[in-house]
Amino acid sequence: MQEADIAIIGGGPGGYVCAIRAAQLGLRTIVIEKDRMGGECLNYGCIPSKALITAVKLYDKIRNAQKLGIKVTGVEVDMQIMQAWKKNVVETFVSGVEQLCKGYGAKIIKGEAELVAKDRIRVTNKDQVEEISTEKLVIATGSIPLELPFMRFDHRSIIDSRDSLELTEVPKRFLVVGGGAIGLEIASLYQKLGSQVTIVELTEQLLPGTDPEVVRIVQRNLERKGVKIYLKSKVVYAEKTPYSVKVTVQTPEGNVEVETDKILLSIGRRPNTDKLNLGQLGILTDQKGYILVNKQMSTSVEGVYAIGDVTGPPMLAHKASKQGIVAAEAAAGLPASADWKVIPDATFSEPEVANVGMTEATAQVKGFAAAKARFPFAALGRSLTAGETEGFVKLVYDQNTKLLLGAQIVGSSASDLISEVSLAIEMGASVEDLAMTIHPHPTLPEGIMEAAEIASGKPIHQLRIGQR
Amino acid sequence: MSYQVKLPDIGEGIAEGEIVKWLVKEGDSVKQDQPIVEVMTDKVNVQIPSPKNGIIRRILAQEGQMVKVGQAILEIDAEGQEQAEMQPPSQVTKEEISKKEEKQTVQENVIATPSVRRLARELSVDITKVKGSGPLGRITEQDVKAYAQQRTESATQMTETVTKEKEEEVEIYQLRGVRRNISEHLVKARNATVAVTHVDEADVTELVSLREALKGPAEKKGVKLTYLPIIMKALIPVLKEFPFVNASLDDEREAIVLKKYYNIGIATDTEQGLIVPVIKNVDKKDVFQIASELNNLAEKARNGALTLDEVKGSTFSITNPGTFGGLFATPMINWPDVAILGIYKISKRPVVKDGEIQIRDTTYLSLTFDHRVIDGAYAARFMSRLIEILQDPKRIMSEVL
Ligand SMILES: Cc1cc2nc3c(=O)[nH]c(=O)nc-3n(C[C@H](O)[C@H](O)[C@H](O)COP(=O)(O)OP(=O)(O)OC[C@H]3O[C@@H](n4cnc5c(N)ncnc54)[C@H](O)[C@@H]3O)c2cc1C
Repeated sequence: MQEADIAIIGGGPGGYVCAIRAAQLGLRTIVIEKDRMGGECLNYGCIPSKALITAVKLYDKIRNAQKLGIKVTGVEVDMQIMQAWKKNVVETFVSGVEQLCKGYGAKIIKGEAELVAKDRIRVTNKDQVEEISTEKLVIATGSIPLELPFMRFDHRSIIDSRDSLELTEVPKRFLVVGGGAIGLEIASLYQKLGSQVTIVELTEQLLPGTDPEVVRIVQRNLERKGVKIYLKSKVVYAEKTPYSVKVTVQTPEGNVEVETDKILLSIGRRPNTDKLNLGQLGILTDQKGYILVNKQMSTSVEGVYAIGDVTGPPMLAHKASKQGIVAAEAAAGLPASADWKVIPDATFSEPEVANVGMTEATAQVKGFAAAKARFPFAALGRSLTAGETEGFVKLVYDQNTKLLLGAQIVGSSASDLISEVSLAIEMGASVEDLAMTIHPHPTLPEGIMEAAEIASGKPIHQLRIGQR
Repeated sequence: MSYQVKLPDIGEGIAEGEIVKWLVKEGDSVKQDQPIVEVMTDKVNVQIPSPKNGIIRRILAQEGQMVKVGQAILEIDAEGQEQAEMQPPSQVTKEEISKKEEKQTVQENVIATPSVRRLARELSVDITKVKGSGPLGRITEQDVKAYAQQRTESATQMTETVTKEKEEEVEIYQLRGVRRNISEHLVKARNATVAVTHVDEADVTELVSLREALKGPAEKKGVKLTYLPIIMKALIPVLKEFPFVNASLDDEREAIVLKKYYNIGIATDTEQGLIVPVIKNVDKKDVFQIASELNNLAEKARNGALTLDEVKGSTFSITNPGTFGGLFATPMINWPDVAILGIYKISKRPVVKDGEIQIRDTTYLSLTFDHRVIDGAYAARFMSRLIEILQDPKRIMSEVL
């Protein structure tokens, strides 16, 4: 039997980061992974999706380079090569993670883990079974996609996000059920590759929970490119035929029949805890099955921690990793705490969307003197020179103190821009601090500075109301 | 529909409380007004009733956690409203996101950089208690260090060193519930007063016989009579004569507030620790009433059943460590009172009286007082007057009944 100070179940961005930090702190560390190190994110999620999205975006740019004076003929996508390239990116990353773990002395054990007790794990790899006894335990088993009762994954015509990133042929018709981050990213991807894309979303907007003004830009872009979007709608019936799937979509205007080649079900995910005996061990979950944790990532059972998607939304790789660090440090007896103020998020749709902190509405609810300042990319030098003028930066702040509370950015590179605002919020900056910081010209982050100048009441590149 | 239960305003200017015990768990169904959680505020437990009928969806505050008034502690799926129709969870998930975010940003009113927040954790400083000196009230590294320094110098030092020991060699108790309140209150008392103790000796032989005489009548009324109610009654004329002892110091107004009412706090030992229930308007009650109230409050204190009202508003306090032995002690003032009377073990001692050695019942009495309000001579005169009354049975009789 192997013995460990800390055993981590799951080698995703939560688990592997936790393992590295635990090993750095001198704990005898074991990380158990049934599939591939790097988890959903590296193998089937963030990394492969971003690889494909970037490749296809380049394709799209090349095709639209005409207006910049670049003549292009004969541009074609070879899905086989693109997939091979993506695979290579993933492989490089995964082997890098394995080397890091080993380099710091965290032991990787391959196999499926079951919890026998809070300090005992049974690992099954094909027909080999071994037991591990451990002082501390970290659950980092991630999440799995949900299905609908009448639409189960067959991984051919009804597919999950993993399948959708493995296709070597572009489907002619592509139906996305669920217009959240994952659904939108993949919808944009196949729209650019030439599929006729339809999106069905249950709520009244795409990216539920996001500032509607932001979502409008994304929706307009998709619709302009011919994507059919049904809001406040749901798929109520699906029937497979030999060559397609026919679905019935219940829309506010009545039922609509849609015929499609592939259906991506991206309606949400659930915690992956089936093998863990949570109930018997007294590890409490909420009603949806997400493990309840405190700020030290400790569960209701002493010595057992949980991190990442199993602890519930927001389901983001960077959140999982930071929680992994907190859990490792807490397990090692350090005074760690998940006391960050904000968790930024980014959606790689067309254009990109990134959020951090509060929206104006949330700030109001929380009792701040909420105000917003908006600067459109169309007025920014860098956006004009890049030919990408869609979108804006919106800052949310407190009118009295000028304290920065949040930002919503929609536009090219929004995912890269958001971090400046995250840092500012963590540092307790005011909008004036942002406005008075010199930003190089011409660059996209100037948009943040410009919005901050508006918030401070001293805009240069915008006429103030009353001065128009 | 999901409904958030917030910690209600409990009154008396209380801003926060500690979750002591959940009386329900997730998934339970609750009726309106059914107690759902026990919250400890300033030395008492309050049970918070459910505002609605429904099912407990999610508990948002753990036992032992401090929560602010207005902070969400529970989510209830309230009855009566239509459950949203079965939906694929994409929407539900998003709804959750904002909630989760809220949960993770509890300290959102604290402005401090991440490294300063970590420093606070390392120094076991509750950053929400630190006053920021930077722009927008930002808490700087200096602020945290200064706070830690000041705290180390104060009374909680003991627990600090305890946690630094090797874990095998010590047993660690988190400061929780009553203990935490005691700790916070005592530090406040210590920092807010300049305490000095005056001790004197009293011949209480007459007091002892007075109690013997009153025991019978007391029993008839169904109460157990100790010395305490008699001493409390004896105190009243002295407090009236020395009004600065029955007072408090209002730092903000820079004023001494003399109180025209006489509410006496009684330090009471319970299993969880020291609690000080208050007997109101002692001047208007007779010894038997006081005795029965005392028994009643002591009982409640031991069961953790005191209401907030019963531990608030003292104007003067008494501590009686005598029951546990010892000569005398230097008690802490029950701030915002300015003084506390210590009464100790009554024992037979040789006393020179009328030119000969006699065996008398004597005790020590101490008055610990805030020197900013009371001077030593004033305290000594107060004490002499009290002893004079305690030694004179006739005076006692008239005051007592
Ligand atoms: C298509 C897609 C795109 C995404 N894009 C982004 C993005 O751009 N940015 C972002 O932040 N997030 C993104 N996410 C979300 C992100 O992937 C997750 O939040 C993240 O992977 C969660 O990390 P984790 O460590 O909690 O779990 P996972 O990454 O799910 O890792 C869990 C690991 O545990 C293993 N495991 C499970 N059970 C057992 C067991 N019993 N024994 C042994 N091993 C076990 C699994 O094999 C898996 O490797 C995306 C997700 C998807 C699906």
